[in-house]
Amino acid sequence: MPEKILTSEAGVSLPPWMEFRVEPLAEVGSRVAQGKPLLRDRRRPECIITAPISGRLSELETGAGRRLTSLIIQGEGSGERHQYDTQSALEELEGGSGSTALRQLLQSSGLWMRLRSRPFGKVPEASTAPAAIFVMAVDTRPLAPDPRHAIGEDNIARLNLGLRVLSSLCDGPLFFCQDQGPDIPDAHGRLKIVRLGELHPQGLAGLQIHRLFPARLSRQVWDISMEDVVAIGQLLSEGRLPETQVVSVAGPGLREARLVRCPPGADLREICYAFMSPGPRIILSGSALDGRESRWLGFHDRQVTVLERREPTSRHWLEAALRRASRPEPVIATAAVEHALGGAMPGMALLRALSVGDDEAAVDLDVLSLVEEDLALVDYVTAASPRFSDLLRAALNRIEANA
Amino acid sequence: MIRGIWTRETVAMVFLAALLPVAVSWIWDEGVWGTGRLVFILVLAGLWQALFTFFRAQPPSAAGAVSAFAIAVLAPEVGPLQFAIGVSFGFVFGELVFGGWGRSVLSPAVVTIMFLGFGFPAADWPHLPVQIGWATIPAAAILLFFGVLPWRVLVGALVVLIAAGGFTIDLLNSAIAVVLIFLVCDPAVSASTPLGRWFYGALFGAMIALFAAFWETAPVQIAVSAALLVSLAAPLLDEMAIALWQAVRRYRHG
Repeated sequence: MPEKILTSEAGVSLPPWMEFRVEPLAEVGSRVAQGKPLLRDRRRPECIITAPISGRLSELETGAGRRLTSLIIQGEGSGERHQYDTQSALEELEGGSGSTALRQLLQSSGLWMRLRSRPFGKVPEASTAPAAIFVMAVDTRPLAPDPRHAIGEDNIARLNLGLRVLSSLCDGPLFFCQDQGPDIPDAHGRLKIVRLGELHPQGLAGLQIHRLFPARLSRQVWDISMEDVVAIGQLLSEGRLPETQVVSVAGPGLREARLVRCPPGADLREICYAFMSPGPRIILSGSALDGRESRWLGFHDRQVTVLERREPTSRHWLEAALRRASRPEPVIATAAVEHALGGAMPGMALLRALSVGDDEAAVDLDVLSLVEEDLALVDYVTAASPRFSDLLRAALNRIEANA
Repeated sequence: MIRGIWTRETVAMVFLAALLPVAVSWIWDEGVWGTGRLVFILVLAGLWQALFTFFRAQPPSAAGAVSAFAIAVLAPEVGPLQFAIGVSFGFVFGELVFGGWGRSVLSPAVVTIMFLGFGFPAADWPHLPVQIGWATIPAAAILLFFGVLPWRVLVGALVVLIAAGGFTIDLLNSAIAVVLIFLVCDPAVSASTPLGRWFYGALFGAMIALFAAFWETAPVQIAVSAALLVSLAAPLLDEMAIALWQAVRRYRHG
């Protein structure tokens, strides 16, 4: 059973592509209950960020264009939790009459931001309906927690309720991707259970979307992790957001790997410091493949990786000059590259299209089903420079601007 | 963030390691004369790579040594000046002007050997002793173990060669084995899609069978000519494989 840790501080760290422009809903210095809305996106009012823990909003800083740079909440041990009114949403769900109130509830509670739509991997627009939704109950990234830890006895009912909410949001199929074990949710009409292998990259949503239901410009596919579906179920049944999520804390810089339950946006130093081995360390929010160095647990992350910090070794001046001037080395099509893409598509052709910026060919090779995390393994395996995940984001931005 | 190991130079190093058994058996057979020729090509190829490194900031690759060895083994016997011209042409116009190993379409060894073969048709082609053919088996095993050799190419070629030889191994001689492992199965110039690789290997086998049936010449010339033609066809084969893949996906996903 994972140990529960409530950190004394929590922050919000959003991935850079989210471009969240802040409109504050709470005063700096005021007390906030856990789950209370704090910020809204100025351009997209459906995007709302809620308080990860109860306490005092001690810092809110914005950068250029009012983009969020830092938000810190100091915990004050009252454990107050914000209560949402779920009456109309529940009635709507029981009556099967549309999804207006449900969407309203998900958006105002910030759970809408947990959805990710493809193509482009952004938070979906408020009123769009996807062609399919993928619920990911597997995480094959190195040292990732087994999502089955997030499922207890009482969470099964919440999961089933959450899946009913999702199926009322879309008319198409609902794919539930899980491991080879027994079925996690109860099967119903449009819910399809997909069983996946244990090897990375099998557990990436992008590869499964590519395989089963490719996203197109005219056809959105959403994905969400199972723990967030449980959160949706909990919100509807109790009116409150979950306090904690399952996070694995592991890596070569720790004395022992741990599985904890901590608030979203938890202070990573507080979680890791007592267990680190001596020496310089780097704390990544996310896996060793696609994590970012961060003080707070990232928005979509469910794992923390602690690595040894290696200072760059000094090179001979001639070698350094040659390397700086040189063009990056091309990638050779070995079996390693093929496996890193899951063998799902003509991988080398896709990588070539990305590196020369041929967006048309990339779209033909189904780049629209992918986001950065799907190419993180290729970046690791080939040590490519520039990184293919960055090239993919640039290509997606160009395609989005032209569409 | 951590970085993996499968950079271009790792692949080149695996190729060099796989070359060792073949190199030992060839040097054993050729002696000092062959070694001198190999050193001559290595120096010349290294010189061209160094020039491109300094003037075009193009990182050099250890794969040049593999090509140099293939030239030393397979090139027709011409004088040193002709040899220098051929090697320079092969490395510069076969590989370096395209951006080096991994960006080129053809292997510099194939370009050099065909250049010398066409330019000096009276020159004698080398005859490879049988132990070199045997030495390619451990080489192929090393490459397959590390996943560097595209196994679909190898299997495709072997199946066609064995079938075309009337289920004997007549068509599998030393020259064809060396060309198949080190020139045709070079992952940088072979087709890159799974289906394209099957086509590519099978096409190589079919060309060998065709040439062997209608062309009275040395096995080395047959093998290298087939390698040149399939390398030129590789982008087309990839394009066909991708078109087929897209048609299947359109049918399946609408």
